[in-house]
Amino acid sequence: MRLVRKEPHTLAGAYAMDALDAADRARFERHLARCDSCAQEVSELRETTARLAVASAVAPPPAMKQLVMAAVRGTRQHAPVTAAKPRFTTRRLVLVAAPVAAMLIAIATVFGLANSDTSQRLSQAQQRDQAIASVLTAKDATMMSGPVVGGGTARIVMSHEKQALVFIATGLPALPASAGYELWLVGPAGDRPAGMLPAPSHGMIGPVIAAGLRDGDHLMLSVEPAAGTTYPTTRMMLDIPL
Amino acid sequence: MTVSDPAARPDRGRPGLEDQLARVARGDAAAFDAVYDQVAGPVFGIVRRVVRDLAQSEEVTQEVLLEVWRSASRFTPAQGTAMAWIMTMAHRRAVDRVRSVQRAAERERRAATADIPFDEVAEAVESNLEYERVRRCLGTLTEVQRESVTLAYYGGYTYNEVAALLGVAAGTVKTRMRDALIRLRDCLGVIG
Repeated sequence: MRLVRKEPHTLAGAYAMDALDAADRARFERHLARCDSCAQEVSELRETTARLAVASAVAPPPAMKQLVMAAVRGTRQHAPVTAAKPRFTTRRLVLVAAPVAAMLIAIATVFGLANSDTSQRLSQAQQRDQAIASVLTAKDATMMSGPVVGGGTARIVMSHEKQALVFIATGLPALPASAGYELWLVGPAGDRPAGMLPAPSHGMIGPVIAAGLRDGDHLMLSVEPAAGTTYPTTRMMLDIPL
Repeated sequence: MTVSDPAARPDRGRPGLEDQLARVARGDAAAFDAVYDQVAGPVFGIVRRVVRDLAQSEEVTQEVLLEVWRSASRFTPAQGTAMAWIMTMAHRRAVDRVRSVQRAAERERRAATADIPFDEVAEAVESNLEYERVRRCLGTLTEVQRESVTLAYYGGYTYNEVAALLGVAAGTVKTRMRDALIRLRDCLGVIG
């Protein structure tokens, strides 16, 4: 927003107190990534707001500890993002990735038409194609790609502005019918399933759109039962910081 | 730690929280038990202050504590203290909860009762020393600064909403918020 562009620094206080709406928050975070002095200031102001939180400490109900400790025993932890991280290439879409975007649009169109045997499906496919196109053509669209553990390559085009990404993969190992690949958005907002991938067509999976992208999310992929799960149950095969 | 030691920072300096978090990252449930004891009160306190509803506050608190377990490997000491990392997560989740579930009418009602002074939290406060320090430092702010911080941080309002509540221009609130936190930072002796 204009406020951010004009005087990004002055938003540091509001940001540290989570007093920005989602759009301003995302914009300020993009600015933060490029501004070391802003990051330093935000870090100090976060330490300050933490003191405000500690000052309002209240003992939770004693039973909560048992609940949380029980939940912990049944909850898988995130792997560290720095260890054994595959290398990812990130490029501004407008500069170098235009051919890929064009390819994705072409694929999306073909995929949509191929599935349009009823008017309802046509309209669903059109809606999906529109959603995909809106991500690909977003001003902040960024392309990333990375290898999938076990084989294959994932490519995404992401837009924080549209809070969505478009995903395609090639060369993923075939799975039995009882299993499928499931996408995950993993970050401070929690782990959310981001959709089951469809069966490959001509060696390519997708494009699929994953919406509900939040700040700090990572895109991950795991093999799950074909019906999908709400929590990942196997090792993550992909980790793209978004 | 005594009141006469102005450099004491009980939340920041609590020895071992960073180390314990590193052990939690390796799946150490006993370390998490110790982390729970240190942070559950502050997490519940700030979540309840923002969310108000007791049942929802408990739910969000549990989510945050579970997230500490899951994401411990992603804490990077270079970016700040463990307490700040956890409080940031707690406050963000509380604010997200309030903004996502709140109907317009509910927001109206909250707005009408939003000017509850900081002193309201005095009951059941665990860390009296820290409470006293923060209260004293909040007292050094101007009225607009103090209200901006209280409404934004404890009330969970956006700066635009704070501006509307105070009848002040949004740009003014924005700068007052930053000025206020910088003043609090210096008063509390926060080292970045």
